[in-house]
Amino acid sequence: MTTPIIEVADLTKEFWRPDVRPGRFAGTRSLFTRARKITKAVDGISFHIDPGELVGFLGPNGAGKSTTIKMLTGILVPTSGTVTVAGQVPWRDRRRNARTIGAVFGQRTQLWYDLPLRDSFEIIRDLYTMDPATYRTRLGEFTELLDLDEFIDTPVRSLSLGQRMRGDLVAAMLYAPPILYLDEPTVGLDVVAKGKIREFVAEVNAGRRTTVILTTHDMDDVERLCRRVVIIDHGKILYEGDVEMLKAQYVTSRDIVVHCTDFDATTISSPFAQVISADPFKATLRFAPETTAAPKVVHDLTSRYPITDLSVLEPDLEDVIRQLYTERTPAAARNTGS
Amino acid sequence: MYVDTLNTRLIGLRGLYRAGYRSVLAYRADLLFGVVGLVIQATLTVVVWRVLYAGHDEVAGIGSSTAVAYAVLAACIQSVVMPWQFSSLPQRVIRGQIGVDMMRPRSLISQNLAQAVGTMVGRLPIGAAGLITGLALGGVQAPHSLLDLLAWVVSMVLGIANIMTINLLVSMTAFWTLEIGGVLILYRFGSAFLSGALIPLWFMPGWLQPIISWLPFQAQIYAPLSIWFGTRHGAELLGTLAVQLGWVLVLFLLLQLVWRRAVHKVVVLGG
Repeated sequence: MTTPIIEVADLTKEFWRPDVRPGRFAGTRSLFTRARKITKAVDGISFHIDPGELVGFLGPNGAGKSTTIKMLTGILVPTSGTVTVAGQVPWRDRRRNARTIGAVFGQRTQLWYDLPLRDSFEIIRDLYTMDPATYRTRLGEFTELLDLDEFIDTPVRSLSLGQRMRGDLVAAMLYAPPILYLDEPTVGLDVVAKGKIREFVAEVNAGRRTTVILTTHDMDDVERLCRRVVIIDHGKILYEGDVEMLKAQYVTSRDIVVHCTDFDATTISSPFAQVISADPFKATLRFAPETTAAPKVVHDLTSRYPITDLSVLEPDLEDVIRQLYTERTPAAARNTGS
Repeated sequence: MYVDTLNTRLIGLRGLYRAGYRSVLAYRADLLFGVVGLVIQATLTVVVWRVLYAGHDEVAGIGSSTAVAYAVLAACIQSVVMPWQFSSLPQRVIRGQIGVDMMRPRSLISQNLAQAVGTMVGRLPIGAAGLITGLALGGVQAPHSLLDLLAWVVSMVLGIANIMTINLLVSMTAFWTLEIGGVLILYRFGSAFLSGALIPLWFMPGWLQPIISWLPFQAQIYAPLSIWFGTRHGAELLGTLAVQLGWVLVLFLLLQLVWRRAVHKVVVLGG
């Protein structure tokens, strides 16, 4: 049993906003009224993360993800509850906490806009008082890993989003913090850029034993990187645990697609599965993995029909998440923004 | 456990100091225009003030040569330490980058001041060009004695510390209102007027003089320039420096208080 590196218990954050009642002079009245409305962005969540884990932190827009991350990084003070990160309370000693965490916020950059990327790295080297040798070695490794060579001397304002994001990742990992927060690091990126970022995240997690908390709306990110996820909505935890378990729990049916050229696929049937669609060349059958094992269905079909191609569809995490969100929250009640 | 020493603190801020002057140098055309602009301004200042003074030996007890030199020197100092964009703080608050700044192992105030010093160093060529122009046209004379020169250096450093602290204080308005443009324009004009950067405070009407002397702005530019011209000696000189130092301390204390309120606003209310 290892001690968790991040422990969150009964964490709650309330925001006060002026209560604006619609109607005549609403704007003017809001200047004078003292009526306030409380919104609970985070509502009593608890979870813990072990050293070296890579955990996906998921939830729809406005679920409270960013607020939670801000409390973990020490930028926000919780209304109640406790957070311990590497044995420290993040907001109590923000400057000390700074050396144990790195962060990338996909929507904003920590780089210096007017200066070449390399200058930003040198500022960070100085801020964290890295010794020059370590700095050179690490920058060399990262440059190779993320192909920074071609744009490291370009001003940040001229970089593409993918290049900027790679720069931001290096900036967050240069001083080798044991914990890395990634808030939507792949948002708006093309497939190749996403691939590079994932490769880098996997390497700092596996190779450098960095604990990573990843917030994303991209289920490919989660499938490729995370073993475990924490899913929140309306400030509360919906699910916490293994990705595979989550699928098993929510995926009550699986599909098999068969192709054939020598006979009419619409005639296919099986005692173990139900045909849900069929045309002369292709049929899709659905079975319940709880009661029937996939090989059993495959064997039944291949032994009785001259099939040219067959595939068992993997359960789609995106569908699972969609099901999870809609089950728990009526779509109309959900607010937007993060 | 990591232990901070003075050395690590200074190294920590070195990067931001460099970022300050590199950001100025990144826009070379801007810097070049600054130099050309100030050379023209210094030249015109010398010519126009001389015309204004034609036929008068003294106005308000101030001779022609002093008035001309004052105008040129004030323009030089202003171009170096009072640029239009004197802090990136409001922009970083609006863009939400302030969160990242708060996650650094150095305080936000020291990060900003280090960068401001860098920016000032980056703009020194502009001020130097203006000063050389003034000297070449005979509009500016060096201080009368070495002691005056030394006292001016001390006084100027205190003046710059004063300017930077107030700049940062005004920039912190961005934590409360994102529409800070108006505040900046008002501040820019007000401080230029009240610090003596636009018009020497000698020429201010009698009723305004006591008000100005009680404000921190006269310690920014008027005080060091008075020392440059050798108008303050002995106890008066020390008194001027003491008042300047006092203002820097008071303003810095105020900065800490305002910053604490700003942090409270960000961390408790969520920005």
